[in-house]
Amino acid sequence: MKIQSLDPRVNRLALDAANPYENEVLQKEEHFQTYQVFHQKKRGDKHVCVGIVHAPSDEMALVFAKEQYARRGETTNLWVVNTKNVLAMDYDDADVFSTTSEKLYRDPAGFKVNDKIEAYKKSRIDV
Amino acid sequence: MFDPKTTAALKKMLLVTADDHLILGHRNSEWTGLGPILEEDIAFSSIAQDKIGHALGLYSILHEHLGEADPDTLAFMRNEKEFFSAQLVEFPIGEYDFSLMRHFLFDHAAQIRFDHWALSSYEPLARLARKVKGEIKYHVFHANTWVKQLAEGNEESKARMQSALNEVYPLALGLFETLEDEQLLIENGIHKGELALQQLWTNEIEQLLGNFGLKVPTQAEAILGGRKGYHTEHLQPLLNEMTEVFRVDPSAEW
Amino acid sequence: MYGGGYIHNDDARKEPMQQDDPVMLAEFEARIARGEKIEPRDWMPQAYRKQLVRMIEQHAHSEIIGALPEGTWITRAPGFRRKLALMAKVQDEVGHAQLLYSAAETLGKSREDMINDLINGKSKYSNVFNYPAKTWADVAVIGFLIDAAAIVNQVANSKGSYGPYCRALERICYEESFHLKQGHSVFVYLATGTPVQRQMVQEALNRWWKPIMHFFGPSDTMSQHTEQLMRWKVKMATNDDMRQQFLTMYVPKILELGLTIPDQELKKNPETGKWQFGDPDWNEFFEVIKGNGPCNSERIAVRKAAERNGAWVRAALRKADEHYTIPLA
Repeated sequence: MKIQSLDPRVNRLALDAANPYENEVLQKEEHFQTYQVFHQKKRGDKHVCVGIVHAPSDEMALVFAKEQYARRGETTNLWVVNTKNVLAMDYDDADVFSTTSEKLYRDPAGFKVNDKIEAYKKSRIDV
Repeated sequence: MFDPKTTAALKKMLLVTADDHLILGHRNSEWTGLGPILEEDIAFSSIAQDKIGHALGLYSILHEHLGEADPDTLAFMRNEKEFFSAQLVEFPIGEYDFSLMRHFLFDHAAQIRFDHWALSSYEPLARLARKVKGEIKYHVFHANTWVKQLAEGNEESKARMQSALNEVYPLALGLFETLEDEQLLIENGIHKGELALQQLWTNEIEQLLGNFGLKVPTQAEAILGGRKGYHTEHLQPLLNEMTEVFRVDPSAEW
Repeated sequence: MYGGGYIHNDDARKEPMQQDDPVMLAEFEARIARGEKIEPRDWMPQAYRKQLVRMIEQHAHSEIIGALPEGTWITRAPGFRRKLALMAKVQDEVGHAQLLYSAAETLGKSREDMINDLINGKSKYSNVFNYPAKTWADVAVIGFLIDAAAIVNQVANSKGSYGPYCRALERICYEESFHLKQGHSVFVYLATGTPVQRQMVQEALNRWWKPIMHFFGPSDTMSQHTEQLMRWKVKMATNDDMRQQFLTMYVPKILELGLTIPDQELKKNPETGKWQFGDPDWNEFFEVIKGNGPCNSERIAVRKAAERNGAWVRAALRKADEHYTIPLA
């Protein structure tokens, strides 16, 4: 017995109405490897990682990225990079960045000289 | 702008390609939610939307510049005998091999056709052709990538692609069925003529498919008739389905 | 599109509260309390990971299955504008499924396992899609009111703690706002159109009101479990709160068109400001979740057929030497 659907497309699939819950259909890794997708809005912008696509090859990854990540809004360019080629830091190692904001010798705010200028001007007036 | 006979030939030319794109876009929309992998489902749906958009562009020229009815009326109120799409596009979606091969052959033809129309003396058409160039470029990129990967995939996919090519090729030749009074369009610089386009298309797909290891059945006889309103048993049911809600009340706003 | 607020959890209450490293747990909870996001390779309690996978996965399934009721009318949409809009909208659902499976993958479950669990009946999806889209007007009701309900849920969850899910939801919420506008547009055109159109949309509303009231799930039992999920910013609002928010925002939009809502008891209590409504039959809700709704079998059968029919395609493309790595973000 075939499934009778309200959807004519489903009727054209001529699906059996038997119990649909049976064994697995997909094998391991059947939906391929993943690629990270980098999107550039306008010339001059940075490329930003916007998500992934599953794809069997580099070219296919680009074909897919175009529709999944550039269907709306502005796009000038796309990159795809196989996830296995991205070396990422561990968040556990974020402590290597912990003192960054204390390094005032790298920061414009670490070089205030107004006091010295005011003091000098005052000393010149007194003379 | 042109004499009445030329204008009539121009209108027919636009209607023919509009109908091709509408029916194919409609067929390909049937894959939405049912594709072989999520990412491809998404991509193929965009391509179907673009085709319908291109149909709309052509119907709009007919309406805005050539005195025909509005696009919704043109698309939703004609019956089978008044449609001039090639028989190629009315066939059901079949399996993915059939749909991909149809997409490959159709889109290469569309790219050649629109590339030439970009140089047409008929300005509204040239403008539309220039506008859709980028979209068609993606469609061809998509088709080439897929057909190559399946033709070079495994034994099964190779066999399926060859079988699909054998089936679709004679139907695809119907895209180049010569229209009456085509000579007037050529003389006025509106169109290059179907034979010229077909030759370019044949060279291109034979080379590409040959590189992918597929053999084009060049001796096959073209399946013609669509341009004169002769269709298979598939078109009327398709039209009935497509227009089911619209015809509940064609004068209503939906 | 369709993150129903209700996360189906029939084994959750039976699971013992899991024992995690207390120091790591304290740091983890402090991070969340500070409003910071948890990222894929962070330490996280087992219950957090498990609950998030379940939630994001169910949301993803809801999107891919959600493509089917409205997909019923893709080939019959009246006119170019509606045809293109519906195609784009259903395409977006598939796109959202892709984004959500990807977010869940960062937690270590493969897309294949998730899809297998869907088609084997092990994983659930939002109940609302187990109902049939009988007419074109059903597309209007789904596109307007169910998208609206989903947005309430998604906006709340987008402020949650898990980075990848929040990022996916940001884009999903943005696209949903288009869907809502499109859906509302069809709804308004029908309601203000011919008598036939008006009747079509009223009948669709009558049929869908109960599933819409079920959308956010029954009232939460405030257990230790729920309290923990809220502290971990996995559950961002109670089912009742979201339902109230939805009613406040959208009941007026239905009534302003002169349509009637098939619940005599639905009214806002002027003193409490809260909506009261008739019992929406929670027995039906649980029956549908168990698999006995009008379309459960069909939805799963279609999804299974789509995967099966595509098997030869995927097999042809796979290269033996390419292997999957868990995505980063």
